[in-house]
Amino acid sequence: MKKTKTMVASISTLIRRTYPSTNRCNSLATIQSQTQLPRESLQHHSSAEGRLRFSGRVFCSESGAGCWNCGEKAAFLFCNSCRSIQPVDDSVDYFQIFGLEKKYEIDPGSLEGKYKDWQKKLHPDLVHNKSKKERDYAAEQSAKVTEACRTLTKRLSRAMYIMKLNGVNVNEEETITDPTLLMEIMELREAISEADDSTSLNQIRSQVQEKLKQWSDSFVEAFESQKFDDAVKCIQRMTYYERACEEILKKL
Amino acid sequence: MMLKQVAKKALGLTSRQSTPWSVGIFRSYHENVIDHYDNPRNVGSFDKNDPNVGTGLVGAPACGDVMKLQIKVDEKTGQIVDARFKTFGCGSAIASSSVATEWVKGKAMDDVLTIKNTEIAKHLSLPPVKLHCSMLAEDAIKAAVKDYKEKRVKTNGAAAAGETTQA
Repeated sequence: MKKTKTMVASISTLIRRTYPSTNRCNSLATIQSQTQLPRESLQHHSSAEGRLRFSGRVFCSESGAGCWNCGEKAAFLFCNSCRSIQPVDDSVDYFQIFGLEKKYEIDPGSLEGKYKDWQKKLHPDLVHNKSKKERDYAAEQSAKVTEACRTLTKRLSRAMYIMKLNGVNVNEEETITDPTLLMEIMELREAISEADDSTSLNQIRSQVQEKLKQWSDSFVEAFESQKFDDAVKCIQRMTYYERACEEILKKL
Repeated sequence: MMLKQVAKKALGLTSRQSTPWSVGIFRSYHENVIDHYDNPRNVGSFDKNDPNVGTGLVGAPACGDVMKLQIKVDEKTGQIVDARFKTFGCGSAIASSSVATEWVKGKAMDDVLTIKNTEIAKHLSLPPVKLHCSMLAEDAIKAAVKDYKEKRVKTNGAAAAGETTQA
C-alpha cells in the first residue's frame, strides 16, 4: 500500500515537472510548495516565460503575451488581427514607430505618410464605441505617435532625442560662459532687434539657416564618433540659432 | 517715454505681440515681473574696455537665453556705482537681470557675490520652471565681478612689475 502511494506521489511529481501548468500563478505556487524541486526546473520555467516576454524583436506589446484582446503575438501599437489598439509600451522609441534606423540622418518626407497611416488606426475619434480601456489606449498611443512625428521632423529635437536615447541628457539648465559663442549670439540678437525691414531680416535669416545646417553636420560627425561633449556643444549652438530664427519670424 | 521705446527696441520687444501674457499661458506673470518688463531699469551698455567696468556674459543654452550684465566700480572704494544689462530671453530672464542691476548698485563687490538666485526668484515670485532665469542672473553678477577683478589684476600686475616686492 505504502509503496503504491509513494510511487503515485513520485509519478505525479514527475508529471508536474515535465508538464508545467499553463496557468502561471498556479505553477509558481507549485514551485514554492515543492521545496525539493531542483533548480533546473525553475530555470526552465523562467526561460520559457523569458521567451514569451522578451521575444527577440521589440515588436510585441507590453504584456509580453501579445494582443490583450486576442493574444496575437505580433501586435505593434495595433493588432491587425482583431483591430484593437494596444497599450503604450515605453520601451518602444520614436524611430521604431516610424520603422526607421536609430540614426540622426533621416528623410523627413518619410514621416508624414507613416504618421497618417498610424493615425488611421489609432486615433481616438475612431474608437467611440469601444471600451473605456481601449479609448484610453487610443488617446495615449495617438499622442505618442504625434509627439514622435514632431520630435523627429525638426533637426534640433531629433538631435536631442537621439542623444537622450544614448543616455546623454542635453536639456540640463546649466549656465555657460563661453565668450566667443555668447558674443556671437548677442550680436546676432542685437542685429535682429535693430533690423526693421523684411529684406535685412530675411538676409539674417538665411545666414542663420546656413549656420544651422553647418552645425547640424558637425553634430552628425561628433555623434557618430561618440564625441558626446562636442555633440552637446553643437546642439547648444543649434538651440541659439533656432531661437534667433523664431525671433526673426516674429518680426516678419 | 522715448527711453522706454529705445529700451524695448534694445530688448527686441517692439511689437505688443511679443509680450509674454499675450501668449496663451495659464500662469500669468507676477506684477513685479511685468513691472520690470514694462519699465526696465538700467538697460544698456558700458564701454567694455573701460578699466572700471566689469562685464558678465552668460547664457542658458537649454532655452537659448543670453544675458549681459555690466558693473561700473569706483576703484577707490571698491563700490559698484552703476550697472547695466542686456538680456535676450523670456520675461523672467529679463526681469531677473533687471532686478540684479538694481540690487548691485551702491554695494561693495564682495557683498554682491552673496546675492542668491532664490532671493531674486522670491522677489519676482518666479514659478519653479523659471528658477533657472534667476540662477542666470546670479551667475551674471558673479561673472561681472570676476571680469572686473581679472582686469584689475592685469593692470596692477603691469604696474607692479617695476616695484620691489615686500617681505
